[in-house]
Amino acid sequence: MIIDTNVQPHFRSNAEIRRYLPEAHQLRAIPDVEQQWYQAPGGDYRKDLYGEHYPGSDPETVARHLFDDGGAQFAILNPLTRGNIADYLLNSRICAAVNDWLLDQWLEPDTSGRFRGTIRVNPEDPRGAVAEIERLAAHPKLVQVGVPMQSREPYGKPVFEPIWEAAAAHGLPVAVHINGGNGVDYAPTFAGHAHTYPGYAAFMPLNYFVHLATLIVEGTFGRHPGLKFVFADGGYDILTPLMWRLDTFWLSMRDQTPWVDRYPSEYLPDHVRFCSSAFDGPTEADQMQRWMEFSAKADLVMYGSSYPHWSTSSPEVTAADLKGVDAAQSEKVLWRNASELYGLAVKEATR
Amino acid sequence: MKLVDVGKFGVGVYNVRGSLHAIVNYCSHEGAPLCLGLIGGTNEADPAAPGGLRRTREGQIVRCPWHNWEFDVTTGCNVADPRRRVRTYQVDVSDGEVYVSA
Repeated sequence: MIIDTNVQPHFRSNAEIRRYLPEAHQLRAIPDVEQQWYQAPGGDYRKDLYGEHYPGSDPETVARHLFDDGGAQFAILNPLTRGNIADYLLNSRICAAVNDWLLDQWLEPDTSGRFRGTIRVNPEDPRGAVAEIERLAAHPKLVQVGVPMQSREPYGKPVFEPIWEAAAAHGLPVAVHINGGNGVDYAPTFAGHAHTYPGYAAFMPLNYFVHLATLIVEGTFGRHPGLKFVFADGGYDILTPLMWRLDTFWLSMRDQTPWVDRYPSEYLPDHVRFCSSAFDGPTEADQMQRWMEFSAKADLVMYGSSYPHWSTSSPEVTAADLKGVDAAQSEKVLWRNASELYGLAVKEATR
Repeated sequence: MKLVDVGKFGVGVYNVRGSLHAIVNYCSHEGAPLCLGLIGGTNEADPAAPGGLRRTREGQIVRCPWHNWEFDVTTGCNVADPRRRVRTYQVDVSDGEVYVSA
């Protein structure tokens, strides 16, 4: 059994997004999805998938790769938008265009019912983001809200809280994923710009921890018991030592944030999930079991392929990485955690 | 607070609003001389208050001088995690003399 929780579908071409933009925004400049300095050598996506159209842009091909070849029963589609755009109102229209395209090209034509989708919203326009959630939350195939990893402020800041409140009110997890496109760019590491692509790719996903720490420390999770965040670029492997630090400081300085009424790490099971990533985990397979047990990570991690990214991990590779992990934990990662989070009933008999 | 030189680490005796309480002068974290820490109150969350904080338990919370762990001297419990305790002692007053019993 497999549920793939992290798939990036693409427009057939960058310009196709214009078909879904309102007339008033048709002439505006919009970055291309791969337009950024930190480019993977040879392109961000699997080389074999570049063709007449963009990788991951044909629903039938994607279904064949994920479901027929990969054996997944469901795939969560989480499309990119085009970076943080200085004109935040334009960016909200870009998000709406992506959502309308996802429904039009992917979710509504999918009679097999295996694709689920994401409501992309722009956190720099909190009112617009809430309106977009309200517009689409009732759609049965839209199972989460999506926001960029890149943000000028961490997501625990109060300006964003109405967005998370709206998502939680509809029972939708919020997925944070590194965005495509180059809008207003922020430095990819805590200490500024990386030199080359490896520095970017290795450390950019770790920014999730700043969002996570502020969501705990500023009380967002405490105020919204139903709120769940999915960190879709992975990074679960650095979770434990960073949570140790948060727990340590809470013991010393709890009086500054007394609304944090339990160890920060105790918020994880109810509020936090990770998609797996090819970049995560110990380099020695025999350390996997031990590392997964710290912070009870088998309850937090969900298989995600990152298809069609160049780092795509197939279910076989992920299952092989989990070989040292006991069967019940492995099953949680490959499908059970996702099945519970997204309410997807997996037929036990298949495959 | 009066620090009494008894036992291995000493015992701090506190007068909390007229009631006497005693705790060991040894933090359960890393063994700091806990009773040398500031005695005062602590903060509770109060969404309606300015800054979301309310001062409470004035005069009964000691802050460890090493790492700021807070303990309630009336119970010995750590404020953040009550399972992390320091030892308390019974205090009795008889004929104007204060007795600490272990």
